[in-house]
Amino acid sequence: MASRSVAKDIITLRGSAAIVSEFFGYAANSILYNRGVYPEESFAKVKKYGLPMLLTQDEGVKSFISNLTAQLSEWLEAGKLQRVVLVIMSKASNEVLERWNFSIETDGEVVEKGVSREKSDKEIMREIQAIMRQIASSITYLPCLDEPFSCPHTSFGHGSSSSAGGFIVSLPLDVLFTGVFDVLAYTDTDVAVPFTWIESDPKLIANPQMVKLHSFDTKIHKVDTLVSYKNDEWDEQ
Amino acid sequence: MDESARWRLLQSDWYSPRRLHDSPVRYDFPGDRFIPNRSLMDLDRAHGLLTNRTAPFNATSSFNEAYRQKLIENLTLDSQGRPFKIMVFRGSPKSSQKPIRFVDELRQEVASIFDNDCKQTPYRCIPKGEKRVLDAPKLRNDYYANIMSWGKNNILAVALGPELYLWNSEDQRVHKLLQVPGGNDWPTSVTWSEDARTLAVGYMCSSLQLWDVESSKLIRNLEGHSGRIASTAWNGRILTSGSRDKSIINHDVRAANNLASCIKRHADEVCGLKWSTEGNRLASGGNENLLYIWEASKMSSSKFLHRLSDHCAAVKALAWCPYQYNVLASGGGLSDGCIKIWNTQKGVCINSIETKAQICGLEWNRHHKEILSGHGYSIRENQNKLCLWKYPSMTKVGELGNHKSRIINLCQSPDGLTVISAGADETLRFWDVFGPPTAGNLMVSDLQGLLSFRTSVLR
Repeated sequence: MASRSVAKDIITLRGSAAIVSEFFGYAANSILYNRGVYPEESFAKVKKYGLPMLLTQDEGVKSFISNLTAQLSEWLEAGKLQRVVLVIMSKASNEVLERWNFSIETDGEVVEKGVSREKSDKEIMREIQAIMRQIASSITYLPCLDEPFSCPHTSFGHGSSSSAGGFIVSLPLDVLFTGVFDVLAYTDTDVAVPFTWIESDPKLIANPQMVKLHSFDTKIHKVDTLVSYKNDEWDEQ
Repeated sequence: MDESARWRLLQSDWYSPRRLHDSPVRYDFPGDRFIPNRSLMDLDRAHGLLTNRTAPFNATSSFNEAYRQKLIENLTLDSQGRPFKIMVFRGSPKSSQKPIRFVDELRQEVASIFDNDCKQTPYRCIPKGEKRVLDAPKLRNDYYANIMSWGKNNILAVALGPELYLWNSEDQRVHKLLQVPGGNDWPTSVTWSEDARTLAVGYMCSSLQLWDVESSKLIRNLEGHSGRIASTAWNGRILTSGSRDKSIINHDVRAANNLASCIKRHADEVCGLKWSTEGNRLASGGNENLLYIWEASKMSSSKFLHRLSDHCAAVKALAWCPYQYNVLASGGGLSDGCIKIWNTQKGVCINSIETKAQICGLEWNRHHKEILSGHGYSIRENQNKLCLWKYPSMTKVGELGNHKSRIINLCQSPDGLTVISAGADETLRFWDVFGPPTAGNLMVSDLQGLLSFRTSVLR
């Protein structure tokens, strides 16, 4: 018999932490690409989750994300991570424009007793794939981030993005968005602040619009995705 | 209603299709097709906010400390009542292309521990200190004056108050060329001609003189202006002067009637004048924040090539790019603080960098693709500094400067290796910032060079 488990896959705490932190790395890259935080040319395609995913080739951003995911993985294994937020701010005014919120629910029993769970790898991949697709199609309703140019865009409301099949929207993503992004981590209070992190305010958006995306579950960690963004002037009627 | 009518109603019910009475179709998700998931919405609060008519709460913090502590504890509980703390990641620089700012310096120190495999582009060493400092007593603290010029004969002409000195850079000898008597007139602009045989001196009281330096004699007095002459530029035998009387005059220095043309276009003092390297275009910057580009052959008060109004402050610093013939760099004053790179063929701004400080001078590095900016007052950064920017990416390579107060003028040596900055602290500082001149540069490791460089700034 092959040593791999058949049909249902065993997931350990460490394995689940790896899956979640890897997911975050790819999701962050996808957000940076789709929202135009870095130029398109600085990204390269790789195959992951059964989709063509884009990863940045910029050494600085690459090392930033890999150091970040390493720390997140550590916290996930300890069961101390509550959520991770990727915040996109305007460079000019330091105003928060978008918040990509990934809330994490950890199964306490697994952390305490070290048991493992069962869930098919394929199933998890499918769930992650759905989220990645939603992030990519979020550009249909998220307001333009490029400034000072104002781009005309139509807002399709909060409809489920999976129905976006019939819409073809071209946004001027070649206009480089002069913005910055930050990653916040919400942890338990007993976590020591590591050397490369500092305590921060939540960087909230006043009166945001929120859209809840799909979630995925490894049976040890459950990750919910939510994007909140600043109300665009165009939307106010 | 009578019995029979009720009976009839009931009978009709029997014939109505059953499915109308069925419960509504169940969806997979809680919610409707407009908003798939209403779990986010705090409908009670939303309703309250909509219908509530009370005046906004006036929050005067007269809470005492204990109460505030309690508040903080409770505010850091999330929706499930779990306490949390928030941290932001400051591990490594997010883009290797970002300009180095003070905030990012701290990040980079940490990053240098982590980033073992980051690309290290070797860069040349930029000197931390000046090569030489000359005392410049009575140097006037006037942003608009252009009191320095370094001619091809390697002599630096500098106006200190009412006196004009010539400093020979080869033997360091100083010679006083002239002194204006009285006390209410002084040179406001000094420029060597291209062959460095004649020195043009513009004055506060609107006179313009040509001096022959070999014999230390005044050759000519050029008339035409009625206000101080703050900027002058040579183009072969044409001397162009810009004045507080808002006009630009082209003088033909060999003709008896020197006035070649008089251009009245600016709405305020003309503080920056520069002819392009080929001599076909003139850039003039005014105190009314406008930048005009003129064609040499067709220059008149109404015929200009471009009128550029992007700056929000006086445009004094102008410099034509030595390697791209249509490119001009302009720098704005205190309220603007931007270096703008222009394509003067099309009149379009190619790039704009915010330096957040008053720009008094711009010098292009002929040996490497860089541009140096000299700064005066600032509310935030770069005060009294010289900043070096890589071209065309306009990323900041480094900064120098030990001036105690604002820098007023910049000028470059004829060999293009040294830059002098004249400061309001009455010093002239020489910086060997543009070298080395050959392609075989000293390759110093990137981080080494920058780390040693940064410590001087943090001082």
